[in-house]
This record gives sequence, C-alpha cells and structure tokens, in this order.
Amino acid sequence: MGAVNFSKEELLNMYDEIVKARVIGEKIVEFIYSGRIAGAIHPCLGQEAVSAGLVSAFRKSDIKTYGTATHRMQTVMAYRLGLKPFISELLLRKGGINGGISGEYHVTSIEKTQIPGTGALGGAWGLIAGFAWGLKTDGRKREIGFAPYGDGAISSGATYEAMNLAAIFKLPMLFFIENNGIAMTTPVIKQSPLENLADRAAAFNMKGVTVDGNDPIAVAEAVLNGMELAANFEPNVVEAKCMRWEGHYVGDDQSLYRDVKFRDNLDAIDPVLAFQKKLVDLKYLDDAAIKKVREAKVAEVSEAFEEGMTQGVATREEVLDYNRIYSNDAGGEL
Amino acid sequence: MSKMILAKAFCIAMYEEMGADPKVICIGEDIGKRGGCWMNFTGLLDTFGENRVLEMPLAEMGYSYFAVGAALEGYRPIVEYMFADFSTLGYEAIVDMAAKIRYNSGGITSCPITFVLPHGGGGRSGCHHQQSVEAWFTNVPGIKIVAPTTPADVRAYYRAAIRDDDPTLFIYQRALLYDREEEVPDKLDVVPSLKNAGKIVKEGKDLTIVAYHRALYNAIDAAAEVEKETGKSIEIIDPRVLIPFDKEKVFASVKKTGRLFVTHEAPERGGFSAQIVSWVAENCQSSLKAAPVRVCGANGIIPFGELEDYLYPSKADIKAGILKALA
Repeated sequence: MGAVNFSKEELLNMYDEIVKARVIGEKIVEFIYSGRIAGAIHPCLGQEAVSAGLVSAFRKSDIKTYGTATHRMQTVMAYRLGLKPFISELLLRKGGINGGISGEYHVTSIEKTQIPGTGALGGAWGLIAGFAWGLKTDGRKREIGFAPYGDGAISSGATYEAMNLAAIFKLPMLFFIENNGIAMTTPVIKQSPLENLADRAAAFNMKGVTVDGNDPIAVAEAVLNGMELAANFEPNVVEAKCMRWEGHYVGDDQSLYRDVKFRDNLDAIDPVLAFQKKLVDLKYLDDAAIKKVREAKVAEVSEAFEEGMTQGVATREEVLDYNRIYSNDAGGEL
Repeated sequence: MSKMILAKAFCIAMYEEMGADPKVICIGEDIGKRGGCWMNFTGLLDTFGENRVLEMPLAEMGYSYFAVGAALEGYRPIVEYMFADFSTLGYEAIVDMAAKIRYNSGGITSCPITFVLPHGGGGRSGCHHQQSVEAWFTNVPGIKIVAPTTPADVRAYYRAAIRDDDPTLFIYQRALLYDREEEVPDKLDVVPSLKNAGKIVKEGKDLTIVAYHRALYNAIDAAAEVEKETGKSIEIIDPRVLIPFDKEKVFASVKKTGRLFVTHEAPERGGFSAQIVSWVAENCQSSLKAAPVRVCGANGIIPFGELEDYLYPSKADIKAGILKALA
C-alpha cells in the first residue's frame, strides 16, 4: 500500500474525466441561466479533481463500490448510472434512470451501485454502513460501501454514529470527505476545530488521511488505498481538500458571505489546468490533444443534455403510480 | 390454543419468522442476552446468532439508517425502539428514506423493514417514554401502520408486518405486554394480509365503536355496561391495521347502526380518530343518525407517575362518550 502507479493510458483517462467534470459543471450553469433546469443543482466547478480521482480509482480497482455521491459529484453519478440516463434524470426527463421523477440526487439503483442520498445531510453514512454490513454478512468479497459527504454534512451526529457502527462491525466501508471549505455559506472554520477533518477517524480507531483535492492523482491514490483497507474490513476515512468556485447553487451571490477575490484569477487555482500542465510536462499531452479532448467532452456532454431536452416529462399517472410506491395491494389508496 | 401474555406472543412470532426466513434480522438495544428491555426478544441471540440479532450502541438514528441500508442489500430488518418516543431519532430514516426507496428506484427496490414501536399510556413513565405515536406517521405516504391489541392478533399481525415487502410500523401498547393472558392458537396456518384487517370484536345494531389498544379493552367493558343499562346493542371493530385502514368494514357497520364512536389514547387534536370520522362522514352521510363522537387523550403533556391518568380516557369517559353517541 502507498504509492500507486498510473499508466499513461490511465492518466489520460483521468484527464478525460476531469475535463468531463468541468464541462458538466459549465453545462449545468448554462442550462440554469437559460431556464432549462429547475431545482437546486450544485455545480462541481473548482472541484473536478475530486470526481476525476474517484472515477479513476473506481475504474482501476477490482473492488466494487456501492455508494452515494455528494451533490457536486455529478461525474461520479454519471459513471455509475451512465451519462445519458444520469443527465436526463438531472433534467427531469423521461430518459432518466428513474424516468425523471426522482431527480439525480434521490435516485436509487442498486443494480447500478447507486445508493440514494438523504435530503437532511448525515444519514446516508449510516445507510451505507447497513449496506456494507449486508455485503460482509453475505460473504461478498471485494465489495464495499463508499460513503462520501462534504465538510458540512459531517457535522451531523448521524455521521459519528455511522463511523462508530462501521468500526464496531468492522465493515467494508470507505468514508470520503469532500472538503471544499464551505458548507452552503458557513466556512469550515466555524464548523470544526480540526485542521483536518479526517482526524475524526481517530475517535473510532480508524485510519484517516487528508490529501490535496486539487490533484486527481493524489485523490485516486488515497481512495485506492482506502478501498483496499475497506475490502479487508478496515473501515477508514479519506479527506480531499478542494475549493468551491461558485455559490452554493447557481445564482447564489457569494459576495454576501465570502471573500470572492479568488475569482479574479481562477487559472491560478484551476485543478484542470494544473493537471493538464502535469501531463504536458510528462509529454502525454500537447495543444492539439488538449483541444481534441475538450471538443470530444463538449460534444459528449452536450449531446446528453440536448437529447435529454427532447424527451418528455412524466405524466400525472406515472408520478402517482401506486406500484412505484407500494410492493403489494395493501398500501391504501393514493 | 394456549393462554399467554402479549410479550410471549410477540416473541413466538419472532421465532416463527426468523425461523422461516434467514434474511430476517433484528436490530435494537439490549436485544442480546437480556432479550430486550421488554424481554420479548428472549433467547433469539442464542438461537439465531450475532449475524441475525444485532445488538446496537445507543444510536437510534444510526441504526435506523443502517436498517435501510441492510434492507437495500437484501435483508428484512426488524428495528426495535425501546420506547416508541425514540423513533423521533429514526424519523428521517423512516419517513424520508425507507418510505421513499421504492419510489425513487422506479418501483424496483422494496424496503422491507419492520419498525417496532412500544407506545401508549399505563407505564407511569412520563412525557418521553410513552407517547401515543401513530398520528406522527399516518400522514406519511409509503409506510404501513399495524397496531393490533390482543396477544393472538399481535402474533398474527407482527408476522404479517415482517412478511410485508414495504416499510411497516408495528405499534403496540407497552402497558399490555404482561397485562393479561389470552388464548393464542398453537399454530397460525395462514399469515394474514394487512388488507381488510378490521375485526368485528362483537356484533351489534345500534352503534359502531372503533377502538384499538388499551382504549379497546376499556370500550369493550364500557359497552357491556351500556348494553346492560340501556338494552341497546353495540358493534365493536378493532381495525388492527391503521394503514391501510379497513374502511369497508367500518362503513358497512355504520350503514347498519347509523352511529359512530371512536376512541384512542393519542391526543385528540389531529388524532387518527379524526381521519376515521372524516371518512365515515364523507361516505356514510345518509346513514348517520347523529354526529359521530370521539373520546381521546387530552392535548396535554404526559406527567410522570400516576398523574398520567388525568390525560387518558378512562372507562367512565368512554362510557359517557358511548351514551352521547347513542343519544
């Protein structure tokens, strides 16, 4: 365990993912400002390295993960559910993984390894602990629960209870903290006395590591190590520190609660550019390749968004479909 | 047939269901060697082992979510709250997660959990340990609520709740656990459906009473006195299941008697009895000879000890309500 080697091909795939994350974020902003997305979607802009690192780790490992995603991990959800079914669900269209009825955050697909998040943040960690207990008790080797949350959610007591249960039952489970420094409008310094939130693992006799969330390689490496521990029934915590560029939601005026000077030079803190530079230095990428990847990802993501918009929306009958709610005829009338 | 207390009938149902299906597991506090705070999990750990009987730390919120996760992975968890009041800590797991899993999976993945909630008056244990909780949940689509009263019905409907593929609350009156011995069949040949679960406890033609839990026993005694004193005959229905409610049995009865009396221990305001009266008013209007009458718990805070008796409907209160409904 420790340093992980990534081949050129794996690093280029990682670059694909980080660019895809950026494009999905841009598309969400574009669609919200043009009035084509309803509801609160939280774009991942600035945090792309986290999602790219996660997807790369999941792809590289033979360990199967079942889990949720933070609301800014659209690229992770797209990896689990498929880009088009995920985007259509986000757009609340019929081609969505649940017919555009749930929205992308509540969608549940065990077959696709997607566990639903909880609206009141905190509880999903306990839920994933129960799932991981099931995996362990069924003797399912190298299958684990993946439990991500942001720095805000982990102030919920539910996350402490979940870490405790994971430690007591020695569950195959990886806790992941996407620490973007701010919970909606409240900076992390007002939420926790800890410099590194992964230090909370120590309270449950678990390992915890903190890595640079602007570096997809560091994220992937830590996650692969964490997955390996989890698969050996050592639940553990990985924290990735990153930075949120946008408001909590698109259109949120951040200047009310946050110094936004960092926005004057986003290139200086851009995780996509930083990773790109690393690959250029390695001579894995040149300008032509960069342009090609960008165009390919824009085309792929745009197609998913445009195709989604051509689909219809659920009917009243589908929304109030009794069989979607109850498993048998003893549910009472809707 | 043999006579037994409710706690034993509950325990037998658990042995029957855990024996029948290896995916049934129990989750709760002190349910190991002690057999649960109320001793109705007695012997389960020794019989079924630690992978079936999960003794939990004091973390109702955490293990409620845990149960949802285990259900998603293919298990059929039974979650016991020591006191129904503690379900407040599991509320989000029940109403936001368990109740909505199937919907958000497009009708593919069910969430077969039984949440066990001992509730209601008679425990002398105050405002955090014996509230009557059914109306906290009856307004939540996606869950079922089973609330039988007698030992025989507890055995049958607990088993039905465990077998149901949807999240089900099993609410019983804690004060009745060891209160009375009643006949319970040796074998339950058919586990009942939660549908059409209403039971006509006794037939009558002048008034329909709907009651459950301790209020049911009080209503049976009060109705006997009224019948003796007035010569009227009273029909009593125990719904046994609140969601889905057996409306047809109640409507048929009210269409025969023309009068309705409903009683429960939960507070009157927003109580489930109001929903029953509303259904009857909407569906049996031409049959009603008088306004329906409710006698419920007071809308007060439960004091500690014997003072609680001021809150709950006594047999005398229920008798007065029955006479009013007959007037």
